[in-house]
Amino acid sequence: MEENAPLTEGVYYILLALYKPRHGYGIMQFVSELSNGRVELGPGTIYGAIKTLVKRKWIVPLDDDGRKKEYVITEAGKLLIEAEIKRLDELHHNGLLITKEERQQ
Amino acid sequence: MKKVKFRFYLDFEKEEKWINEMAQNGWHLEKFFLGRFTFTKGEPGDSIYRNEFITGMSVLEKKEYFEFLKDSGITIVHESGGWVYMKKAAAEGPFEIYTDTKSKIDYYKRILNIFLVLFFVNLSLGIMNVNIYTDNSSIEIANASIGVINIAVALLIAVPIVKIIKRKKGLEEEQQFFE
Repeated sequence: MEENAPLTEGVYYILLALYKPRHGYGIMQFVSELSNGRVELGPGTIYGAIKTLVKRKWIVPLDDDGRKKEYVITEAGKLLIEAEIKRLDELHHNGLLITKEERQQ
Repeated sequence: MKKVKFRFYLDFEKEEKWINEMAQNGWHLEKFFLGRFTFTKGEPGDSIYRNEFITGMSVLEKKEYFEFLKDSGITIVHESGGWVYMKKAAAEGPFEIYTDTKSKIDYYKRILNIFLVLFFVNLSLGIMNVNIYTDNSSIEIANASIGVINIAVALLIAVPIVKIIKRKKGLEEEQQFFE
């Protein structure tokens, strides 16, 4: 994945979920609530994303003294989210701009 | 009450569909091993079943993943031959393991990598074993027979390989427009 390639919806929401430490199931619940049930991520999708995100150092596992491993976003991950928000903002802005006239009719 | 059925599917998605049809009729998967499926009688349609290829996962990864599955309200039904069957209560809504195109493509790639290795290992062993055959000594006949089995296995593996490649291609085309 290139640095500024669009993130998948799942990865975007997983990264957002990890602004606070969460384990796999915590991510699943958080994303579902945040999107009002629109985005229901499957366990395979979440688990695969976690592994890739750790490898790319966008999230890190916390030292687990407990049973379940928790993860949290890194500085590099936060930069990625910031860049993605800018990109989404541009998409959103241009979308509204172009369709504005149609909507006003 | 129990029921044993023998079925041999070369397509794991069709097998999963059949397992779910059985569950709809009140027969819930309990165990599976090489085409032998054991079911127990239960409430029709109360669970959704999914299979997953977990070969290639380390012991630790598997432990972690299974724990995560259990947390998500999923029950591991049975694990055998690098495959696992799991189920989730139908009342809890739709149940899919891979919910976006990208992760589904990655999953297909993972299966393909291992299936392709199995295919080529069996094919080359088969060709070697068959080629050894020069006279009619019993050892060479035995070798050649093993070779024929190797080649047959390679051909059997080729069927799902072709199917998975096709499905993966379909998803990749879709991915040009949609996530």
